[in-house]
Amino acid sequence: MGGQGEKPALLVGGRRVDGRGVEDVRPLKIVARVLNDAEGSAYVEWGKNKVLAGVYGPRECIPRHDQSLYRAVVKCRYNMAPFSGAEEHGRSGPNRRSKEISKVIKEAFENVIISENFPKTEISIFVEVLQSDGGTRCAAVTAAAVALADAGIPMKDLIGAVAVCKIDGQMAVDPGKEEDNFGESDMPIAFSPRTGDVLLFQMDGLLTREELARGLELARKASMKIREAQMEAIRKVYDEPKEDRFLLIG
Amino acid sequence: MERESRIVMPGEQVSDKPERIGYAFVDKGRTYSTVVGLYSEGKLVPLEGPYEPLPDDMIVGIVSEVRFSGYSVDTNSAYAAFLSSREIRERYEMGDMIFARIQKTDETRSIELGEAKKLPEGRLVRVSAVKIPRIIGKKNSMVDMIRANTGCEVIAGRNGYVWITGKGDSNLAEKAIRMIEAQAHTHGLTDRVAAYLKSQKKA
Repeated sequence: MGGQGEKPALLVGGRRVDGRGVEDVRPLKIVARVLNDAEGSAYVEWGKNKVLAGVYGPRECIPRHDQSLYRAVVKCRYNMAPFSGAEEHGRSGPNRRSKEISKVIKEAFENVIISENFPKTEISIFVEVLQSDGGTRCAAVTAAAVALADAGIPMKDLIGAVAVCKIDGQMAVDPGKEEDNFGESDMPIAFSPRTGDVLLFQMDGLLTREELARGLELARKASMKIREAQMEAIRKVYDEPKEDRFLLIG
Repeated sequence: MERESRIVMPGEQVSDKPERIGYAFVDKGRTYSTVVGLYSEGKLVPLEGPYEPLPDDMIVGIVSEVRFSGYSVDTNSAYAAFLSSREIRERYEMGDMIFARIQKTDETRSIELGEAKKLPEGRLVRVSAVKIPRIIGKKNSMVDMIRANTGCEVIAGRNGYVWITGKGDSNLAEKAIRMIEAQAHTHGLTDRVAAYLKSQKKA
């Protein structure tokens, strides 16, 4: 998995580097409707990750050759800010990694967005990673789902994503940066909680069949917690209605 | 809105039977919501969402292009509308605001307008299209109240554009509309807006 420096002990007496147990998710905070000009938006703080998502659409699809007469086209741009913390990001434009992540996020959402309702249009998802600490693509999916719901775009489910990893021979949920870099395996998964369908599945490193099954089970459990946080964020928009969009500070 | 309703999320079950409900879908004999909405007794009202044009909707639009045989009209949706010169006696220029009826839409969602009327100079407030019924109110009650209290003429287009003339207190009218938009899902809104308009009028 490649990391710099000595590999630290990742699991000591059932406790992880940051003191969590193997089934614990890092603290997750979501605020919906934070941007004035986007039709839907969400801000997610997940451990040390800070991710902002904005959604536009359905709007006229440009360029026209991307357009479909039968459905809305889903577009996604995942981008890391230059100051997001990961070493070589933000130097210039999209790179191999961010293009890949944009693609997998787009494909995850194509499964749930009811795009047939809006022919000839596009639905654009923009995700900006402001600070990264491992698991930004999962935070991006989680934020984008809330932003899409906030925009009122019809979806079959409110999806969420979480990664599982193998550290010091054990499966653990929601790896941080150290566990990602020095662990034996990293596996981000997005679920549709309603059906249990897997919408995004990637894996780095090696796992046995048993470890994979255990990882899926851990991720499924964790995804329920993520869904709770997402629903709470959306409810809060309506429980405490504001004429201006939420301020992040104060 | 008086009945007990609950907020549902996309993918949340609203019925254990297959039912035909707007903004819901059926999967394996059960009915689920597709939007964040208010659900009560077989009715799902979305709290947010894009404008979906329907025939007979009265909309406020902006003339975006003058063409040989008519006008292209911006309708606050992904789809441009066309207003044929045959439908109208007036002439418009780019940027003019109009109030018109949707005559026809098709499966590719192209919109044909008719019965158009030019709106004089005024301000345009863009709100979420799903909040428009609340802004209009039962039998125009809400919009009439804003008119009476601000002295403004207010026209709420089904597409989410609300047009206000500048003669009366148009700032107050806009604030009232923003208030309704933010609190559209709550009970007793008419009374609160009435109280707000009264208190602002004195000041």
